[in-house]
Amino acid sequence: MNGPIVAPMDDRLVFAMGGGGFAMEPTNPLLDEYVLGLARSTEPRVLFLPTASGDTTGQINAFRARFVDRTCVPEHLSLFRLRDAKRPLRETVLSQDIIYVGGGSMRNLLAIWQAHGLDRLLLEAWRRGTVLAGLSAGAMCWFAGGVTCSSGRPASIEGLGLLDGSLTVHADGEPERLPAWLAGVRDGILPGGWALDDGVGLLFRGRRPERLVSSRPGAGALRADAIAGELVRHRLEPELLGTGHQAGLGGVDEAVQELRRVRLMRRGITGEEG
Amino acid sequence: MRSRTPQIVAFGGGGFSMEKDGSLLDDYVLSLTARARPRVCFLPTASGDADHYVVRFYRRFSPDCEPSHVSLFRRDQGTGGIEKDLEGHLLAQDLIYVGGGSVVSMLGAWRAHGLDAVLRRAWRKGIVLCGPSAGSLCWFREALSEFHGSSTRVRGLGLLPYSNCVHYDAEPARRAEYHRFVGDGMRAGFAAEDGVALHFHGTGLEHVVSSRPGAFAYHVEPGNDGVVEARLDAAYLEAGDPAWDRTPAGACHETLPVPEFAATALTREEPIGA
Repeated sequence: MNGPIVAPMDDRLVFAMGGGGFAMEPTNPLLDEYVLGLARSTEPRVLFLPTASGDTTGQINAFRARFVDRTCVPEHLSLFRLRDAKRPLRETVLSQDIIYVGGGSMRNLLAIWQAHGLDRLLLEAWRRGTVLAGLSAGAMCWFAGGVTCSSGRPASIEGLGLLDGSLTVHADGEPERLPAWLAGVRDGILPGGWALDDGVGLLFRGRRPERLVSSRPGAGALRADAIAGELVRHRLEPELLGTGHQAGLGGVDEAVQELRRVRLMRRGITGEEG
Repeated sequence: MRSRTPQIVAFGGGGFSMEKDGSLLDDYVLSLTARARPRVCFLPTASGDADHYVVRFYRRFSPDCEPSHVSLFRRDQGTGGIEKDLEGHLLAQDLIYVGGGSVVSMLGAWRAHGLDAVLRRAWRKGIVLCGPSAGSLCWFREALSEFHGSSTRVRGLGLLPYSNCVHYDAEPARRAEYHRFVGDGMRAGFAAEDGVALHFHGTGLEHVVSSRPGAFAYHVEPGNDGVVEARLDAAYLEAGDPAWDRTPAGACHETLPVPEFAATALTREEPIGA
């Protein structure tokens, strides 16, 4: 919120997950901790958008459970219960360090965002340097296109187009998506792009892919392009998170460690159990 | 297929989702289908397809109807909703019941799935359309909706060429807000209190009915000297009244004290000034 209205391209981060994080990995916090580490703030404000699920209580509870004890200020925004919102949408969206978008129906997600004008606000947040993160529909939405099962069978769908290229998710967990995506890329319906397994996240700095990470051994990713009508694919190997050699982005610095210790102590003093 | 008059029953609030027992408004809309076991399809879109809402719908309508629901958020998940031919299914119903929640989110999702056009066809075909709150606002050209405490003007499907305001008695600010909007150029329209339903034949208001005594609907229009509000008496649908015990619509007309929607039926006129 205190940053410049237009951040340099290099300060605009998008982290797209093929699946994983609190919604899919209740016992594995690696990807979510990585997301927190992307913010420049030591105690980042994190806004969760569960729109694609229809704002299910399950997703909101899982988000809270994951972030409530971490060094951040978590909050969620339900577009189905705006009556309960305390601030105008614009203020809520533009005052965050991280915006985290959940999975579900990508078609509904984009349509509902548009109905509320949230698509424009998210673009503005990105321009201001707010980290945009998400899984599944919440990852594909930032790209030119993706593959949705919103109407039953997998089908190509246009995204917000913040990032060039297309993305498909759950490449291992929902194998029926991959052929639909490959066909879309081959036929020129979708631009070339990435297929991410569950547990794999791709970080973009500006519009450049910068880092591919994963929360589980064995998870991978694929890059595919149509070149002269032929599909050209190659396998990408992500860096496994949590193996102790996280340098640069994603690392937790001393100040954050300190803050976390203080927080834990404070909780101890107020006598809260467990 | 016999051709029937298009009918919409717009609840200011009430029905199975809001009233603990009775749900006389639900009995009323069922009676309009003139069928022993009407086919009733529930659209819980405005709630984000909340499970508890769907469960309550089945609890209420299973004993006497052929119930079904459409979930636009779970079309690929086999959760018991109609997944494939939404249009064919909806056009084969006797009654389409739209649940409450966020009217803006609902209209966005409907458009993305083409349901706006399907519902228009269903209406023309004579399938009874009804619902409380967002399930009322959506049928009108314009609606007054509330976000984070302040009112917003929303464009509905426009089947009814009026404006609409619901829960008119729930908060004192509602009336003032509606008057302000109509004074500022929102088209003339109807407001309904909780438990009151506006029953339209085509685009004409045919009946005003209520599940509680002493509740009202209102017609609000711009006048020469500010905004003019006219109170419309509602016919109380008494529990156990044999006239309402699933009688075909034709018979209802005989027993209802019909508030003619004309200047003579206005029971009160008060210019809204200071």
